[in-house]
Amino acid sequence: MGETSPDLYPTTTRYTDAEGQRGGAGPALSALLTTWLPAQRWFASKGDLTEVTIEARTAIAEIGDRTVEQVLFTVPSPIGIQRYQLWVAWTRNYPDRYAHVLIGETNGEFAYDALYDGDVSAVVLSNIADGLSVGILDFAPEPGAEIDRSAHGLVIGAEQSNTSIVYGNSSILKVFRRLEPGLNPDAEVHRALQAAGSSHIAAALGVIEGPVAGKRTTLALLTGFFANSAEGWAMATASVRDLMAEGDLRADEVGGDFASESLRLGKAVAQVHADLAAAFGTAELDADAVRDLFASMVAGAELVAGHVPSIAEHLPAIRAAFGRAAAAGVSSTGDGAGVPVVVQRIHGDLQLGQTLRTLTGWAIIDFEGEPSKSLAHRRAMASPLRDIAGMMRSFDYAANHSGGPSDSQHAYRAQEWAARNRRAFCEGYAAVAGYDPRDMGPLLAAFELDKAVYEVAYEHGHRPTWEPIPLQAVVRLIKSGETA
Amino acid sequence: MTEIVEHPPETDSNDLGYRGPQTQGGEHSATTMPSDPEWYKRAVFYEVLIRTFSDSNGDGTGDIRGLIDKLDYLSWLGVDCLWIPPFYDSPLRDGGYDIRDYRKVLPEFGTVQDFAALIEACHERGIRIITDLVMNHTSDSHQWFQESRNDPEGPYGDYYVWADDDTGYPDARVIFVDTEPSNWTFDPVRKQYFWHRFFSHQPDLNFDCPGVGDALIDIMRFWLDLGIDGFRLDAVPYLYVREGTNGENLPETHAFLKRCRKVVDNEYPGRILLAEANQWPADVVDYYGDAEVGGDECHMCFHFPLMPRIFMAARRESRFPISEILAQTPAIPSTSQWGIFLRNHDELTLEMVSDEDRDYMWNEYARDPRMKANIGIRRRLAPLLDNDRNSQELFTAMLLSLPGSPCLYYGDEIGMGDNIWLGDRDGVRTPMQWSPDRNAGFSRSDPARLYLPAIMDPVYGFQTVNVEAQMNTTASLLHWTRRMIEIRKQHPAFALGEFSDLGGSNPTVLSYVRTHAGSDGAPGGTVLCVNNLSRFPQPVELDLREHTGSVPVELTGGTPFPPIGELPYLLTLPGHGFYWFDIQAAGHGDAPGHGGQPDFNSLEVS
Repeated sequence: MGETSPDLYPTTTRYTDAEGQRGGAGPALSALLTTWLPAQRWFASKGDLTEVTIEARTAIAEIGDRTVEQVLFTVPSPIGIQRYQLWVAWTRNYPDRYAHVLIGETNGEFAYDALYDGDVSAVVLSNIADGLSVGILDFAPEPGAEIDRSAHGLVIGAEQSNTSIVYGNSSILKVFRRLEPGLNPDAEVHRALQAAGSSHIAAALGVIEGPVAGKRTTLALLTGFFANSAEGWAMATASVRDLMAEGDLRADEVGGDFASESLRLGKAVAQVHADLAAAFGTAELDADAVRDLFASMVAGAELVAGHVPSIAEHLPAIRAAFGRAAAAGVSSTGDGAGVPVVVQRIHGDLQLGQTLRTLTGWAIIDFEGEPSKSLAHRRAMASPLRDIAGMMRSFDYAANHSGGPSDSQHAYRAQEWAARNRRAFCEGYAAVAGYDPRDMGPLLAAFELDKAVYEVAYEHGHRPTWEPIPLQAVVRLIKSGETA
Repeated sequence: MTEIVEHPPETDSNDLGYRGPQTQGGEHSATTMPSDPEWYKRAVFYEVLIRTFSDSNGDGTGDIRGLIDKLDYLSWLGVDCLWIPPFYDSPLRDGGYDIRDYRKVLPEFGTVQDFAALIEACHERGIRIITDLVMNHTSDSHQWFQESRNDPEGPYGDYYVWADDDTGYPDARVIFVDTEPSNWTFDPVRKQYFWHRFFSHQPDLNFDCPGVGDALIDIMRFWLDLGIDGFRLDAVPYLYVREGTNGENLPETHAFLKRCRKVVDNEYPGRILLAEANQWPADVVDYYGDAEVGGDECHMCFHFPLMPRIFMAARRESRFPISEILAQTPAIPSTSQWGIFLRNHDELTLEMVSDEDRDYMWNEYARDPRMKANIGIRRRLAPLLDNDRNSQELFTAMLLSLPGSPCLYYGDEIGMGDNIWLGDRDGVRTPMQWSPDRNAGFSRSDPARLYLPAIMDPVYGFQTVNVEAQMNTTASLLHWTRRMIEIRKQHPAFALGEFSDLGGSNPTVLSYVRTHAGSDGAPGGTVLCVNNLSRFPQPVELDLREHTGSVPVELTGGTPFPPIGELPYLLTLPGHGFYWFDIQAAGHGDAPGHGGQPDFNSLEVS
């Protein structure tokens, strides 16, 4: 990567920024990015990248011999322009410590991903604490936020659409890589829930905002960090592992039983839903909207059936299942009187990986919604049953994740674990929400089926060996229409 | 009653008990340990019951002289302080916690002279010794109670809590729910009810009677004069009782403990008080007293809720039961230290867990109803862990590295078993297993004469599990335990370091650092402890950025691990595996094998 020369790359890149930037001119940077971007996990446009358009470069700091800038750029893609941000540090000496995030070398200068540089992340944090405006960027603390600016920053994990920097044990900065113009729902929801006094979310501490495509856009969100917490997914799979290791014990008899945690998790989710409803209000779907809801589910399944044989095979039954749900959907009591479908702001992408077991209970994180959906869709109201269906599916995945021997005994025990924990989750939810999600059987089952069909499509494309996990759920749901 | 009694009846001269140090020149003869005011913060404690350890006279019951014979073994093991449950004269209806005469040794154990010899022998070996002092109650056969029930108007009439009916203090819970229907019992002699928080044969002393406190402090002086290094104060939360309260942790109780501490500090510096307060940590810290002055009640308190949660964490394969309780544990005053343990002579106490958790523990660790006692579980460490060597090592490693001074229970260092078919809590009080010889080498008596039969089953029996065999095998649990104690002592951070839970990527792995700044010229240090609570191998990624550039050196073998860098530190552990690392500061003692590159930053230019 360090051997690259700008001359070797197409010159079709457009350059819109002023001259005199470090690392030579804009074309040099966009040329570097053209080779570097496709290998980045957060870079969604797979396929040939021929053009990177630099939209804005904001000088952030000079640290020693390093110059740090924030870069907004766009790339073309079949579904329209995609927008990204990148933080780049330039240095004349080969950056040994950051070789793993080196972008490239041009004009005798090395560029690397600056978020990994502890000095840079420290500047970003203190800019937020100070509420600075730098060029087009606004760093702003939340009112009354206490920010420990001495904490050392570290980039954790590799995420799909953003990069997170953890500061000591006190805060975490989520830098959105891929941008959609406008207020990010994660920031919006965190603020609203904090104002509602929710104890199941991280405290919002600050944001970085800037103009993207003419709209004020959230570029990064700083929240409190749950030190010493663990992901719900890791805890659930530990429990499943424990069950599978005991040949003769039932799910409720093994030491690693997870049901009491699932119960508390259900309570936490119900509380967050209640807080969201209080903060953003609720609405009822009219008959047309309910029809549209199920029509979109059917359409989604038809789309998947077009390229996934296992769904095509079951398509008639899936249609029938959604049809049954639509008939009963507005009338969970079955008397035809029509119980309204209530919608509100929801999490949108809820699953065990979005839950954290903290020392004081469960917390819910990442209110961005499904990253692949439009911002409007992610901010729209939806039935909270969609979140619950997401959790139901997640328990199912956790139960089957080990992929061990696929004999009937293993499958039976996985099913037993999933059923036990889904039940416990719903009981916990009911204890707080005042209604049991399982009483909304047909509607919940429809959301679960919708989700499972999407999962089959995803696994079919990405992890074919996992396809049977959601597929068996599809089969179960179209047969019985039962959930939990 | 207004008259204050100067000499309780038990000090009458016709009593045969030992009356104090037999000295000529006014100075008592017992050796005292060298001055080291905070020794208890670093000490490894060992609970030993005189009855169970060694029988010197062949009567089938362990005795003081027998214990003296075994001190070399305890010294070899690395024990710093013995905790000896009551050895006082007693009708033995509650394992000696029902004291009949505070100044007399139970005859079958020996005499006060024997006990003085024990103190002397311990101190010669650098071992300290603390003993139980039961302040809350006495046996109903104690002379005080006999006087009190027979002569309500006499000098002891108010020594106990009497009432005409059994309706008082309804908010105080009944502790021994298995055996006692009420905290009040009718006495047919005095024709009144007396108050008892424990068994009905153990009437509670009335601390509102000034003579009671004075008498107990005199008793403390008696044993401290003999050279004892401190007391474990049994059942302290219950000393006072007041209407409208649950009768626990009352301000009056704390005031009395402050009075005891003053006596110790002023007259016997270097001796300690250790509270048995089976309460939540937030309540227990009150027994350390005022943090402003560094603590002015007890020097140590047992951390009760930690122990059941260690077991629960392993069963659930989740660090949260432990992490949660430690996060809820407040800071303690500067002269204070926690006492922690895995097992002791009582049942595995489940009072300090929620009902849901208690049911869970019962189901997991006490599958046979006989294993349950009161609201605890009567098992020893090895059988609780299905005799799994890895688990025993993991648990012991946590005992020796979690915050607090560890207390081992006799026999657990060789993995002794229990006998759940013995009554009450006797199942975990069987004879110490010294050798495969008759009576486990514990006694030369006729086996039928033993106070309790030695364990004889094929797995835990003394033919298999005994000190002699394990002494001869360097890979034994006994040798392993000794090595770990030794390592703990080489690194003061284990005893004195600040505790900091690291969390980490894997919820089944409990990781923490203990950091000690060093004091009085003594070096500080940082140790990292990583514990896999799962049966299965696990990876864990730890955030060790605070120590970037440092080299973790594994403590049992001295192997340097890769230096800590910017990225999360990855470790892999076998099932129930653990690591202890010394975190050596960057540029400090460059670990061998890491090349000899000069450190240009530290070159001095003159």
